[in-house]
Amino acid sequence: MTFTHFNRRLHLYLGLALLPWLFMYGISSIPFAHNQYFERRDAAKRLPLWTLRSTHTVDAAIPDDPHQLRAFGASLLREAGITADTYGAYRQTPTQVNVYVYSFRNSTQLKYFADQKRLTVEDRRFRWDQFLTGMHGRGGFEQESLFVRSWSVIVDLVCLAIVLWIASGLYMWWGLPGSRRLGWLAIGAGVISFVIFTLGL
Amino acid sequence: MSPSLLIRRTHMYLALFLFPWLLMYALSTAVMNHRALFVDAAGNGAPQFQPERELTYDGVFPEGAELRTISGQILASLDLDGAHGVNRRKDGAIVITRNDLLTPRRITFTPATRGLVIEKLSHRTNAVFERFHRRRGYATGYTLDTIWAVTVDVAIGGMMFWVLSGLWMWWEMKVTRPLGALAFAGGVGLFALFIATI
Repeated sequence: MTFTHFNRRLHLYLGLALLPWLFMYGISSIPFAHNQYFERRDAAKRLPLWTLRSTHTVDAAIPDDPHQLRAFGASLLREAGITADTYGAYRQTPTQVNVYVYSFRNSTQLKYFADQKRLTVEDRRFRWDQFLTGMHGRGGFEQESLFVRSWSVIVDLVCLAIVLWIASGLYMWWGLPGSRRLGWLAIGAGVISFVIFTLGL
Repeated sequence: MSPSLLIRRTHMYLALFLFPWLLMYALSTAVMNHRALFVDAAGNGAPQFQPERELTYDGVFPEGAELRTISGQILASLDLDGAHGVNRRKDGAIVITRNDLLTPRRITFTPATRGLVIEKLSHRTNAVFERFHRRRGYATGYTLDTIWAVTVDVAIGGMMFWVLSGLWMWWEMKVTRPLGALAFAGGVGLFALFIATI
């Protein structure tokens, strides 16, 4: 197998294997780019986004150390009787901590008000645009579950694949002498536009 | 030109034009996926604004001018006009956040003293990438931002087109069908497993 042949096959098979992710990143960018349209559309339904599931009385001290927040969030989840693989804990104010539990399809938020010793659990209504943006925004290596973190490994792989598609695509283009002139024009127009945006925005 | 060749050439030229966008999105995604590394390196807090310069603003605003009018006038006088947010603090000071990709600034105008304080956000490479990734433009009211938003839509369309045209081109090459089907099915299966379970 020559390098040219290997390059073409790499471009193709990598594309086919990661096609669901490329498609997902493409289609899920639409609700990000047109956020206001989707928000207006949902607001017209006049439905609450969050529904209260339960309220608990909890007396716990919010840790000062931000590194302890995740463990604190886990203890709040136990108090509420929720098992979660994926969650994040965030301090909203000195007396309030929110814990977000999410899967691709569902989201739940816990709000702990230390001054009121009150913990509320709310479920988010399913929205297609948030389902897509949730997939798009998912990443990071903070979760304990190896399977959950393996999604983030794929995200890295997609990033690497995009770089490889660019490099292998440029190599394939260069192998087509008849396309070089128009190709240079496309590259030049793209790079110059991008530089203008970088400096001007 | 046959439909097949048209699809192949569109696939290629679109990619040659849009590769800076895709490269930026790939690098910024990797940076965000490993945000913890950058946070550890730079400390836990958000980037801070650093003083850049102070001056007295002697311009006059129209009677009953709205905040956006005031902010636009101040930014234009500083040669910093562009996408921004503005609010009025409880003490009456007007705070403008200029959303520059490379150097975001905060401009605080105190009407009582006519003092203008210009601060710039301290540089963090990962933050620059994130700003690029998250930049939207349709709502800012600035032409360059709107054009940027259009290019983002073109990049989105490009991604969808590469997916569909890539499938078409693969199917045209009979020799690659078995291994290609395996790669495609493996990818779809793994993706479906993730969606169903996490």
